[in-house]
Amino acid sequence: MDPILTFIVILIGFYGLSVSDNIIKSVFMVTIIESGVILLFLNLGNLEGGSIPIYTEGLVDIVDPLPQALMITTIVIGSTVTAMALMLSIKVFHHYGSIDWKTVLNREDLEL
Amino acid sequence: MVSKHILVIALLAVLLGVFVIALADVRELYNAYGRDYFLANGLAETGSRNLVTGIYLDYRLFDSLFEAGILLIAVSGILWISKHEVKERYAQFMIDRFKTPDLFVTFSVLVYPLMLAFGFYVIVNGHLSPGGGFQGGAIVATAILILYYIDNERETNVAFIVTIEKFIFLTIVLVASLSVFTRGTFFTNFMPLDASISAKAFYLVTLNVLIGLKVALGLWTIFTAFLKEGR
Repeated sequence: MDPILTFIVILIGFYGLSVSDNIIKSVFMVTIIESGVILLFLNLGNLEGGSIPIYTEGLVDIVDPLPQALMITTIVIGSTVTAMALMLSIKVFHHYGSIDWKTVLNREDLEL
Repeated sequence: MVSKHILVIALLAVLLGVFVIALADVRELYNAYGRDYFLANGLAETGSRNLVTGIYLDYRLFDSLFEAGILLIAVSGILWISKHEVKERYAQFMIDRFKTPDLFVTFSVLVYPLMLAFGFYVIVNGHLSPGGGFQGGAIVATAILILYYIDNERETNVAFIVTIEKFIFLTIVLVASLSVFTRGTFFTNFMPLDASISAKAFYLVTLNVLIGLKVALGLWTIFTAFLKEGR
């Protein structure tokens, strides 16, 4: 797979982030960008026909284990960031009664 | 409105061009020295057949410590945000409790012990097969969450879970720092460098179990915070 395809996944996330009005959709778009980054890293360490990075005697070709180890960090942190953002959006709904960016930003009683 | 979308797409096309130009020679920049090094020395140096586990529990343990720390910070943040102390005008909760289908309950009773056992298998065999503390912890947490679907009224002592989690995090840092006595450096395997592979694997299993418990408890806490909003 070409790295350009992973850029396109990232850019789909950027596009959704810039045009979506719904806060929940924005959170989803952040996770899509994150998936694109994960695909990019795994793609860079990939080796056509290589086996999984588990050592056995006589193993010659493996995919690079380092990007995979880095992406474990990304997945864990991404899940926590998503959970945090969703909890914040619940709080926004409880305070303003809406999860639409424009409705929330245009309220006149904006001060908490 | 349409022109705004066209503008966004044009900007993204420019961004794609920048990406393509900046990373055109990324295949040439990448080299296989690291891969060959891990294949040649990974098992002997870390004692882990799974080279990914060898990296995140030995070569890059410093990263993994802060990864576990970020999970703890996120759990504390979510619990703090989810408090209902300020007057919230639009706070409303789902009063109606849906009834879980009987089929779901029956199959959950069958699947729940299997999921727990599979999660612990993935945690303990993290140095031999694909898996490890983070992945197995997520499986164990998913198994625990099934209990909340079976019993809607289930209560949890969240403060107690978070306290255990903090102690486990401290234990992880302590175990990771033990290597200063045996090897002279922080944050690596506490077995000496010339120890046998099974002796080094003891350290890997210990740390994988601790990390797995920590991740399982952390995800459980996050779930209970969301559950409180739904009730």
